[in-house]
Amino acid sequence: MGYPADNGAAIRPRVSIVQRQSIVELLFDQSLVEAHRARALKSGDRSAAFLLQIAADELADRLAVIERHFDEAVELHGYTGQVAERLMQTGKIGHVTRVETVADQPEMIAAPLEHVPLAPGSANLVVSPLSLHLTNDTPGVFIQVRRALAPDGLFLAAIPGAGTLQELREVMLAAESEITGGASPRVIPFVDVREVGGLLQRAGYALPVVDSDSYTVRYDSLFALARDLRAMGMANPLLGRSRTPLPRKVLMRAAELYATRFSDPDGRIRATFTIIYVSGWAPHESQQQPLKPGSAKMRLADALKVKDS
Amino acid sequence: MEERMRRVDPKLLELLVCPLSKGRLSYDAERNELISEKARLAYPIRDGIPIMLISEARKIEM
Repeated sequence: MGYPADNGAAIRPRVSIVQRQSIVELLFDQSLVEAHRARALKSGDRSAAFLLQIAADELADRLAVIERHFDEAVELHGYTGQVAERLMQTGKIGHVTRVETVADQPEMIAAPLEHVPLAPGSANLVVSPLSLHLTNDTPGVFIQVRRALAPDGLFLAAIPGAGTLQELREVMLAAESEITGGASPRVIPFVDVREVGGLLQRAGYALPVVDSDSYTVRYDSLFALARDLRAMGMANPLLGRSRTPLPRKVLMRAAELYATRFSDPDGRIRATFTIIYVSGWAPHESQQQPLKPGSAKMRLADALKVKDS
Repeated sequence: MEERMRRVDPKLLELLVCPLSKGRLSYDAERNELISEKARLAYPIRDGIPIMLISEARKIEM
């Protein structure tokens, strides 16, 4: 007790360890994410692959208009591989390597979602279809991808964003609090399109472009939606999830609420999926650059054709 | 043929780094493993697929 300085010194290393762990708030149980994806892939149920196909077509459209050939492409966690396949059809790619948590075919690499196993400057194109919503350290993945890109390499991503499953989130919350008097997270938080734009810039991408599209999918009931989500490998992977099974009563009530609040006249329910499309380039001198301040050769007033007052 | 199938494509090796340390990997043909000296891990190659999962890697005692 008499040596506060010593005490302080003894405590300090511990504090620094705690801080290092809390830099990134852990949301997702990565081993559970991997298990869900593995189980869904193994089940072979491809009826829920429609979302991936939408993303594949959209990403292919974006790639097709780029006047460039990408020799080495990498698909990061593309699940069924249909995005890689669709992108190959554009004729803009020389060779594609697929990285997935479960790899079962030649020319594939098994790697975790959050660790990009690619050498610096080794890829001309990196594509991430519908998997960056499950990473704890998304900025870290953005940075790892940029390092893996050769100068003037392109990063394309489709990320499920804010708005996705908002109806399900609402009815689960309402049903659970109504019946059990409390609630636990049942639907993961999705990232906002503005945040993704900021992330791209912070990670050092040039010419970043971000936009989003919302899709409404109609189902017979909440149960059909839940079946699709499982087939997508999207079962709840939150670390803060309730560890006790969802009571049947809560589920039934949620289905009832869903049907009353979000159904069409024909009785089918609506589910929203919002996909954020991202593109950014690894910086290169050939890209358009802003001029240095003060280097203008023309007055702004003249360019805008306004009269000085 | 079977032996060749199991071997990893050299082009794939150029692309890969250790996911943990981001360091270079060397190929151990005898054990069919990718060695990351920095992280002291050996990643297995199964059916020609490099398994870059830390949970599947073998710790190397040095």
